[in-house]
Amino acid sequence: MNTDPFFLLVTLLFSIGLVGIISRRNLFVVYMSIELMLSSINLLLATLSKVLGDASGSVMALLLIAVIAAEATLFLAIIIHLYKTKNSLDSDNFIDLKEIK
Amino acid sequence: MPDTNTLELTIFTILALFMLGGSLTMISAKQTYISAFGFLVAMIGLAGEFALLDSRFLAIAQIMVSVGAIVVLSILTILTINIKEENLPHEPYKFQWILLAALLISPFTILLYKALKTLPQQFTNIENINSKITGELLFTQWVLPFEIVSILLLTAMLGAIIIAKQKIKGEDL
Repeated sequence: MNTDPFFLLVTLLFSIGLVGIISRRNLFVVYMSIELMLSSINLLLATLSKVLGDASGSVMALLLIAVIAAEATLFLAIIIHLYKTKNSLDSDNFIDLKEIK
Repeated sequence: MPDTNTLELTIFTILALFMLGGSLTMISAKQTYISAFGFLVAMIGLAGEFALLDSRFLAIAQIMVSVGAIVVLSILTILTINIKEENLPHEPYKFQWILLAALLISPFTILLYKALKTLPQQFTNIENINSKITGELLFTQWVLPFEIVSILLLTAMLGAIIIAKQKIKGEDL
């Protein structure tokens, strides 16, 4: 099978994630957009692993899944803390970092 | 009976449409849990794409970690903090912003696609990347990153507990 569709999908997913980060203010959407971008890189690694016939790409993708899990844990904890502090999910409310204790 | 290439392309297209639909729902929905469900659809589609690439172990890991842990944890968090309608960000020009951002990012998208397309055009005939090869590599050549990831996960867990546990003064949470 031709690999071009996979590269197109990776590109589109990465761009959608970038659009989500830029245009939305809901912290959860920003978090999920970051996850989407990381996952699209994961797909790129798996695709290249297949194209080049080298399983190292798969191993890297596996490690990246663990890194995504760690990132998700921390991001969700930060969101809970921010929501407790200001009762809001608007990223504009957290411009002033020194207010967050 | 369609040949294998057409079949693969059909499955790929269906999964890709699911993923794109899910991610577009994710960035455009107002309610947070609808975004989370869009994200869930995108992650399941990604596992399907991994399976299509013959990375069976990766597909299972994706289902177990991304879908089973990350998305479920996100939905649990969303339901736990129980966001009220008035506490959601007020975004009256959301779709205009999304359109503007898409317009700004489209040149970058085209550039990225052209750059990726110059990579080898066809799949070569190789053996399946099965869990045996991946596991062997993981515990020989990649053992140091593997151990570092364990420490990273432990640190993230501790950090998450400390951040989320902190009490706001004067408030009983």
